[in-house]
This record gives sequence, C-alpha cells and structure tokens, in this order.
Amino acid sequence: MLGTLAPSALDTALYIPDLRHRRKSAVFDELVDCAVASGAVRCDPALRELLRCRESLGSTSPGRGFALPHARSLAVRSTRVVVARSGRGVDWGAADGELVHLIVLLLSPSECPESAHLDLLGRLGNALRFQRQRQKMLEAGGFETIASLLREELA
Amino acid sequence: MTPVQSVLHLHDLDLLLHELQDAEALACFKRLGLPIGPLAPLEAARREAAERVDPRWRHHYDRAQRRYGGAVAAVRGRTCQGCHMTLPRSAAPAAGEMLALCESCGRILYWGVRSNA
Repeated sequence: MLGTLAPSALDTALYIPDLRHRRKSAVFDELVDCAVASGAVRCDPALRELLRCRESLGSTSPGRGFALPHARSLAVRSTRVVVARSGRGVDWGAADGELVHLIVLLLSPSECPESAHLDLLGRLGNALRFQRQRQKMLEAGGFETIASLLREELA
Repeated sequence: MTPVQSVLHLHDLDLLLHELQDAEALACFKRLGLPIGPLAPLEAARREAAERVDPRWRHHYDRAQRRYGGAVAAVRGRTCQGCHMTLPRSAAPAAGEMLALCESCGRILYWGVRSNA
C-alpha cells in the first residue's frame, strides 16, 4: 500500500452535502472554494485551471452516478479529499449519460509521488465501485458515515 | 493569472503530462473507467502557459525541468521539497514575492503565503 491518508484528509470542512450548482465548471469552482476555505489550497486559480485541463482530456466520471476528479498541484498543501453530493445531479459527461450525484475530489501536493497519488485514487475508486456503498453515502445523514465508508477502503 | 500563478500552472501541467505518459497511470485510469483522450489539448495548454511565464523565470524553469523533471518545489517548514535542504533565511524572496531560487538544487521555490510556508 503506497498512499497514506492523514485523518485530517477527510474532514467535515471538506464536505458539501448538496451542491448549489449543476454545471460542471461551476461545480469545480464550488469544490475548490470549499478546499480553499478549509485551508487545504493556497493558490486556487492554478488548481481550478489544472482541474479544467484534466477534465478536457476525458470525463472523470466512469458513469454510475459518481465522479472522481483528481489533481496533483503545487497549490495543494497536503493530501485532501473533498466530498460533495448533488440531489439534482450534475452532467459530468459520463459515457453512460447518467447525472452525477456523488463527487469525490482527490487533491495531492505536487511532491506526493505519482504512485501514491494513483494508489489513493484507485482505493477511492474501489470505495465507490459498489452501488450499495454509493447509496449509503448518498443517504448518509452526516459526513462521519461517508468518511467511515471511505476510510474502510483507505485504511 | 498572475506571474506566480503562471509558473505554478506550467509546473502542474508538466506533472500531469508526465503522469499521462506513464503506462502504470494509464492502466490505473483504465481500471477506474476514466478514459484519457488525445493529449493535444493539454500540450497546447502547456505551450500557452509557457508563453505566459516571465522570461526571467522561464530560463530557470527550463533548466531545472530538464535536470530534474520537476522545476518548482514547494517550501514547507523552510525546507525545499525538491532537495530537502533547509533553506537559509536569506533564501526567502523579497516581501510581496512568492518565488525564489533554491541555492542548493536550482529549482524554483514556491513559498506560497510566507507566514504559512
């Protein structure tokens, strides 16, 4: 196991229970605003642009109603996971055409080795793979339930 | 973008480009169901970003990028995250600036918000 996640990487300050926006670009701004407000990011214009560039290469939603955007950037202070839900759904350009209701954004600092970043990304993907798990996250009353479900895979 | 943001963005794009040329990374994305299209848009964004970087920093950037594959290093706890050397107080950039050169490795140092670096 390569990637390690500090307990503070999953924090209620990095949780958006219901996104205000429905357009993908606006949602990215909402996610980054949340990371900035929590102190996880120190140069947000660079991060916003990087996320947009990554997305331009292909949607970060594998379908099934969730998205897994990710970035390694100098703008990020330490590895953090931003979790957001959208009751109305966001068109993330997934191949299956489904709207995205659950977004898990992985942010790693640039000095984080690529292998560790990818390892964490893979384990977040595993945590979201099963419909039953995703449903629990979508129905969770608070962030702790979501965090514990993610920690099970990341531990 | 400000001159500092342009340098950071160029660095981040180079990191991403490197990642997307790595077979293991591509295998990971494929396993996750995250297809990667042609890199041409990213390469074009990289060219644009490079043009926006101040020539003074561009020279140092290109040299460090060729040498290390990563031209910019964050400063945390007065340590260069590229070479892990503790930086002398004199290495800090002038007030109001966020970039300086690491005297040890030659990477561009990103001090961020100085009080939190």
